Parts: sequence; structure tokens; C-alpha cells
Amino acid sequence: MASYIIRRILQGIIVLLAVSMICFIIFRYMGDPVLTLAGKYATFEQIQEVRESFGLDKPMLEQYLRFVWNALHGNFGVSYVSRVPALDLILERLPATVELATTAIGIAFILGTFLGVIVSLKPFAIRNKVIMAGSLGGISMPTFLTGILLIMIFGVYLGVLPPYGRGETVQVGFWRTGLLTLDGIRHIILPALTLAGFQLAVILRLTRAGMREVLTQEYIKTAWAKGLPPKKVIFKHALRNVLIPVITITGLQFGELIAFSIVTETIFQWPGMGNLLLTSMFESDQPVIVTYIMLAALVIISINILVDIIYAFLNPKIRYD
Amino acid sequence: MFKRLAFLMCLLLALAWSSQALAASKLVVAVDSPPRTLNPHGSDADSNLSFMANFFDGLLQRVGDQGALKPALAVKFEHPDLKTWKFYLREGVTFHNGNPFTAEDVKFTFERLSDPQVSEFINTGQSIESIEIIDDYTVVIRTKKPIPWFANNMHQIFIMDKESTEAREPGEVGLKPIGTGAYKLEEWVKGSYVRLQANKDYWEGAPDLENIEVRPIKEPSTRFAALVSGQTDIVSGVPVELYSKIVDNPKLSIISRPARRSVFLALGNNPGSPVSDIRVRKAMYMAINEGEIIEKIMRGHAAPAAQIPDPPTIGYNPDIQRLDYDPDQARELLAEAGYADGFEITLTGPNDRYVQDEKIAEAVAKYLAKVGIDVKLDVKPKSIFFPEVFDGSLDFYLIGWFDGTFDMGRTYFKLIHSRDKEGGFGSLNGANFSDPTIDILLEATADIVDRDVRKQVLQDVNKIAMTDKIAVIPLHYQEDLYAVQKGKNIDFTPRPDRWMVYKEISR
Repeated sequence: MASYIIRRILQGIIVLLAVSMICFIIFRYMGDPVLTLAGKYATFEQIQEVRESFGLDKPMLEQYLRFVWNALHGNFGVSYVSRVPALDLILERLPATVELATTAIGIAFILGTFLGVIVSLKPFAIRNKVIMAGSLGGISMPTFLTGILLIMIFGVYLGVLPPYGRGETVQVGFWRTGLLTLDGIRHIILPALTLAGFQLAVILRLTRAGMREVLTQEYIKTAWAKGLPPKKVIFKHALRNVLIPVITITGLQFGELIAFSIVTETIFQWPGMGNLLLTSMFESDQPVIVTYIMLAALVIISINILVDIIYAFLNPKIRYD
Repeated sequence: MFKRLAFLMCLLLALAWSSQALAASKLVVAVDSPPRTLNPHGSDADSNLSFMANFFDGLLQRVGDQGALKPALAVKFEHPDLKTWKFYLREGVTFHNGNPFTAEDVKFTFERLSDPQVSEFINTGQSIESIEIIDDYTVVIRTKKPIPWFANNMHQIFIMDKESTEAREPGEVGLKPIGTGAYKLEEWVKGSYVRLQANKDYWEGAPDLENIEVRPIKEPSTRFAALVSGQTDIVSGVPVELYSKIVDNPKLSIISRPARRSVFLALGNNPGSPVSDIRVRKAMYMAINEGEIIEKIMRGHAAPAAQIPDPPTIGYNPDIQRLDYDPDQARELLAEAGYADGFEITLTGPNDRYVQDEKIAEAVAKYLAKVGIDVKLDVKPKSIFFPEVFDGSLDFYLIGWFDGTFDMGRTYFKLIHSRDKEGGFGSLNGANFSDPTIDILLEATADIVDRDVRKQVLQDVNKIAMTDKIAVIPLHYQEDLYAVQKGKNIDFTPRPDRWMVYKEISR
């Protein structure tokens, strides 16, 4: 078992190194930060001076090794644009993204399973056919379109919800939350719905398929025959068994929502990490971009390793030894 | 069912009710880009200087819709010889932290400009030979070479407090600005808003509006939604596509003013290439239907340009005329030059920098195709495009320009003087345009300081470059569009540099 865990962790480190190398190289070719840093009127000589000052004149390999060395010490470099440590910049935006992703996944999970159950009970009722068709829309509609439509309907024509931003926020320790004020909650509704759209459709369809299968099984028939109330049969006996794969998928989607809610954050001017990533790309702020991608990779790889280890515990056949 | 519907309605109403109207002494403004840093020298982009101008003051300032140069932290200045500038400083001014403003702060500020770690103004910083403090309120700055436009630039070099800037980390300085400006920073939540609070002790008197909230909203349609839903009082950077929607809205008024930025096509003239022939350059100029570009692509929100500088700039020459759109004559000129069958050229340009930049480039390619020139389009993000301009590896590209100093000299040295690493000229001459006459004339203007003589000489150079040599093909001046909520008595006049200076706004 120990050797399995060590192997998985070593593999994870190799993947991380590969990711760091690839994004380091790619973003070297995505614009030259020195030109902005030197100012519009800099001469060729001054541009060279700035390049040296930031250590960007050194060979690529040397720059990369220095980056890895510093990263190992928890130092991901300083943003070229704001001259603040890149990691701090990203962590400052973390609460907004986590709150948005959590709310979205919460909405998607509760609504998705609920609707999934309803649809599975009477699959051929007109209402349920409409719900299924709607879920197809949820899967195929791009986020930016959903977002803009929601803004236009609720923000502009009805004027009931604010179309952008995070609203009033409260600082609780290091965490700046928008979920404790009414204004903050009003602001999160539209972006969370936008982000939830796709996930909701996936969860709904997954729940429905699972329920359809489980409802035909013997033990459900027994439960009905025993004369148990429908609520108990559906939610306790059937749904519980269906939820296992649904929760697995939801968990995986959650990681992705946190790492890549860029489009939704941009449309709603949500001050989260995705928004920062996009701004940084426009400004060729490499330390921030590379740190962000490294962090995202770290989170996703850790989740995967954890899942693998848990599987190995549960199923001894997977272990290498 | 009805119960549920009623509940939903109640919920919506409750949500609507809680969206209270904005407080009266407060102004909410939406702009198109967030501040990159609040270190006043950390970015030379106008979108950033626009924030800085509220927290800080320069030695001089630009006022009004023509950008007139007026005293600020310096009450007056003298220019005793070509390289010397003597500034007499204002007495009794204090920084936001209570420190008095003196000559020490000016010296510190100008020395800081040369540090690439904290400044994007190293060009200005390194042009200075020495800074001498005569007394607490008199400073003499000597430049290495004569710089006729030195004082013209003093509105964007913001003076920092020596003591508090030296005592703090550079990162901290970029987060909490301490200046002498009309507004203090109340709170900056990155990505959400910057809140400003009036500086009651401001040397010009406390500003009219007490609280300002600036919200950067990058997505144009969201900016529009914020305005229409009444969440913001002023929006800068209204996209031309949405112009008619705002005009139709009775609650909003739109303010437009000619922008200083001109958009033009830079064209190389490498010997032996078709474009080194002046007839070909003329033909390309005449083949482009600028009237149609303004009408169809810019939706009327642009004015035709015949040169790079705009009217308030020294060197703008009202006598320069555009060549008329005439595809037939363009074809004749091409035939005369031996290119009746056309030739191939690549048109490069940014797609995220200027108003409708990509569409303009597409249109130009189509117009040139009509006279037989085969244009390959190569449009890309500005972060990739501008390095190519610096490299000088292009043939033909779309770019825009305006000069904060209101002096054409600096612009032409950058854009159309031959690339010259030693002299530091032509670093933005990305297509390697080179003409010895223009080079000599430009270099001769470098030490002309007398305003009238300078104006005359620059106008002549401009005419030669634009008319005789067709150094570039000018297209149009952009128009800046702002939208304001009606019925709130907001008194707002846009500035030529697009800065939002809140002490100039009242209600």
C-alpha cells in the first residue's frame, strides 16, 4: 500500500513539473511583458535595461529552473503589473470564486436531483418532457449566452436583480464574504444560475437514468408491496442508491467550476480568480498566469490522487503490489 | 399553483425593493478597465493615469476640454536655457498623511522614475541629468538633451511623498496611494470597485462630490446593463454598437467628443518592394473608402483624419488634405508603377485595442483587393501584436496613436523616424519606414523650444511626411462616447485624454 501511495505521488509531481514547464514555455510566446513595463516611449536601450532588471534576458532554462526553485520555497514571483506577490493576488480572489462555485453547485445539485426524481416517476407526462427538453438546452447553451440573457431579462427589463458585481461584502477574518448581506445574495443569484445551468442538466439526467433503473428493481417492488408511503420509497429506498454516482460527478465538476469559471466571471464582472486570470492574460502578466495554472493543476491532481488512494483502499485489486 | 405564483411575485418584489437608490452625495462610475496598480508611476496607460490623477497631482495639470496646461503643485515654471527647467512650488500643500509637500518630494519623485522595478516612465527619468533643490519651494531640473516637450509632460508625472514611499514596500505603495490629490483612497477591492473620499484639505478647495465609487466592468454589454438598470451614474467607453440603444432610452443622455487618438495604417518602404514606389502608396491611400468605414463600421462615430496628430497638438497642420477615394485612379497609378496585376502584402493589426480594429482591417483588405492588391490579413491580440511592432518585422499594419504631451515631435520620432538603436529613435516604426529627409528635418526640430517657431517647423515636417512621402495612410480620429443618467443633475464634461477627474464633476 505504501509503495502504491508513493508511486501515485511521484507521478503527480512529474505531471506538475510537466504542466509548469509547458505553461512556462507557452506564456513566454504570448506577448513580451517588457514592452509594457518599459513604457510607451522607452528606447531600445531602456527596454534592454528593463529586461535585465526583471531577469528576462537570461536563457529560458535558467529562468525556468529559478522559477521552480522559488516555487518550491512557496515564492511564485511578483506580478509584473502590480508588483505584489502573485500568490497573494490569486488568494485574494479565491473567496469570490469559491462562493460562486459553491452556490452554483448547490443549486445544480438540489434542483437537479429533485427534478430528476420527478421526471423519472412519470417520464411521459408533458410537463416532464418539457423539463427534459429544457435540460438539453442547459447542456447545449453556451454560458455567455445564458449569462447575457439572464442579465437582459432580470437586470435590464424586469430590473429586479443587479446585473453585475458582488454587491456589499463583509470581511470575516481573511475571508471576504458576500453571502452574509442581502445585497450580496441578490448579486450572486444571476451568475450562480448561469454557472449552474450546465451542471444542473447533467445532474438531472444522471439522476433520472439512475432512478429509472432502480425503480424497476425487486426491492422497490417489495417496498411498494409492503405499503410504505411513496415519499419513503422514492427518497429513502431509491434515491439514496442513485446518489452515489451523482455525488462523485458533482464533486469532480466542483473542482472544475472553481478553476475555470472564467466566462461567467467576466460577463458578470465577478471579482473572482477567473476574472483575474483573464486580465492577467491581456497584460502578459506571466507570474500570475503561471501561478494560477500551477495552483489549478495542484488542486486537480491532489483530488485525483486522493480518489485513487481511496479506491485502492476499497479495492485491493488496484494496488500495484 | 396560484399560491406559488403569488409567492414568486412577492419574492421578486422584495428583491426589487431592496435595490435602494444611490445616495445623493455619491457618484458611481463604470469604466472599461480596472487600475493595474495604484503606484502612480507603475503604469503609463491612460486608463491607469485616469485613477492616479485623483489621488495625486503633477507639477502642472491639464484642464478643460482642450487640455490647457495650468499650474498645479508648481505655481509657475521658467525655461532659462534649452536644457534647464525651473519650477516654483506651491506652499502649504500637504499629503494625505499630513506630511508637507516640499522640493525633497519632487526630487525623490523624479529620481524614482528611473527605477524599472517601480516605474514605466524610465524614458522621462533617464532623460534627466540632475535635479537641484534651490530651497524648499524651488527646484531646477536639467535634462541631458534639449527636450522641448518636457513641461508638457508634467501633468502625468505625479508627485509622491518621499518619507512614506521610502518607508513602505513597493507592493504596499501600489495598494495604498498617498498623494496630494483631491481624493483619498477609501477602499480598493480588486475586480469590484475603487472607493474615493473627498480630501477636505485639498489646495484647490474640497471637491464638490464627497464619495466616488469607480467600478471597472470589462464586458461592454454588462457595462450597458449596469447603466440601463440604474446602477451607475456615468459610463465611459460606450461601445458604438450600443449607441442607438442609449439614445433611444429616455433616462439616459449620451455625450460624445472627438477623441485625440487617430487610427492609421503604417506602411514600410523597404527598397525594391512595391510599396517603396510613391505611386503605389498613393494608390493604396486612394483605394480605401474611409467615408464608408466611418459610416458602416464606426457607425458615424469617427472623423476622417489626414494626419497622425489631432488639432490641439503642436504640429497639426490644417492644410493637409486627405486624398479622395478614387479606385479608378488608384488602378491607373498601380499600372503606371508596373503593378497592374497587383502584388501581395500582409496587413497586421490588433483585435482588442482600438474601436472596431479588426473590422477596419478586414474592410481595408477588401478595398485593396478591388484594385488588385492581394492582402493577407493577420489580426491578433495586442499582447502579441505590439512586440512585433517593436521588432520591426511587419510590412503593413493598423495602429492608433495620441501623444499626452500635445507635441508631435515625440510622436514622429517614435513612429516614422528610421529605426536607430543608437539614437533611440523609431522603436515603434514597425514596418521599417525610412526617409533621410524626414530624419534630418525631425532631428533639426529637437532643440527648437520657441512655441511659434516649433509649431511652424513641425507643421512643415508633418506636411512633407503626410503629403509628399505618404509615410502612413491616415484613417480617422476615434470618438469617445460616455453615457450619463438624466435627471441627476450631473455636470460632466469629458476630457481630451479620457481621464476621469472627479474634482471636475459636480451635481
